[in-house]
Amino acid sequence: MSGCPECEATVESATKIPGEVFPCPDCGTELEVLGTQPFAVALAPKEAEDWGE
Amino acid sequence: MKVAVVGGSGYVGGELLRILLRHPEVEVAQVTSESRAGQPVGRAHPNLRKATDLTFVPRARLAAADATFVAAPHGQAHAIVPGLLDAGAPVFDLSADYRLHDPAAYPEYYGAAHPHPELLSLSVYGLPELHRDPLRTADLVAVPGCIATASILALHPLVRSGLLADGPVVVDAKSGSSASGQDAGPAGQHAERAGVMRAYAPTGHRHTAEIEQETGARVALSCHSVEAVRGVLATVHAATVRAVETKELWRAYRAAYGNEPFVRIVHETDGIHREPEPKILAGTNFCDVGFAADTHVPRVVALGAIDNLGKGAAGNAVQCFNVRMGFPETAGLEFLGLHPI
Repeated sequence: MSGCPECEATVESATKIPGEVFPCPDCGTELEVLGTQPFAVALAPKEAEDWGE
Repeated sequence: MKVAVVGGSGYVGGELLRILLRHPEVEVAQVTSESRAGQPVGRAHPNLRKATDLTFVPRARLAAADATFVAAPHGQAHAIVPGLLDAGAPVFDLSADYRLHDPAAYPEYYGAAHPHPELLSLSVYGLPELHRDPLRTADLVAVPGCIATASILALHPLVRSGLLADGPVVVDAKSGSSASGQDAGPAGQHAERAGVMRAYAPTGHRHTAEIEQETGARVALSCHSVEAVRGVLATVHAATVRAVETKELWRAYRAAYGNEPFVRIVHETDGIHREPEPKILAGTNFCDVGFAADTHVPRVVALGAIDNLGKGAAGNAVQCFNVRMGFPETAGLEFLGLHPI
């Protein structure tokens, strides 16, 4: 288990894999799994606009 | 369990019947109406066609039941409730007549002295989120008003948090037309109501007294009519002692409502439904509460959204009934609403 950095909701680690992006069950913020041993999440990076590339 | 509904021909009565007719522990034994006595229930409430063979009876023919819901207008329940209490079964009064504990508040907010002030200490304010334990043994449950319900549930965690600055809390409430009942008068005519955004009570709304009684906050309430049939949205503007972080608000609301079956904390960072809105709550017993911390001035905005006929009246009354009778609290109230609607 870990805590959502935005709202501190408990985030369950079951079935999650490193790099997975998923919404927080309470506030909907997109989170990214940093690691599973121990389980840790961070705010997922937002996609920036990709002008002209 | 046999229940009776007194004053069942109005919108609240119809919503009570809709819920109670499908409640797994309930048989609706009688429903009264003076104006529709002898008529089938489905004539007043067409959504209940074929759902029941009940016809309205005059109150003079009311027989004893295991519990009675009173959906009579404000000012009429005064006279009805004492006799029902004498019969010994719990009474769930959806009018304002027994909501305020202080008899002196009735002349100020309802224009007349209370005829049975001795019963006010007997009544329990019917909001399970605040008074679940007293409700378990209550003889008389005073079901809150719709605007009061949305406002109290939005404001209560903030008061508990200790974050509020001194001074009044501003509550700006919007409500749909069914909150005025079937006899809304000229203000309810289609030509007057369609497209409306009307401040019908910028100050002095009666529910001010309930909100203050239940939250302990000093409240400045303004009420508006908007273009909707069902729904109340209460927007609370509360000055805080310092800048508040969103995480603190999550903690405060989770502490108050983390285990509540009908209060959902809604404050999402993405999507189009980020904060509570009453539209998707039509027909449900949910109160969605939300919040936002203002980074410009030390202020919190809190939101409470309900269906005025659901959590704002009939649904909440049945929730109180379930608590009182020891039934599962969600019995009869599982409807999740419609989307889109």
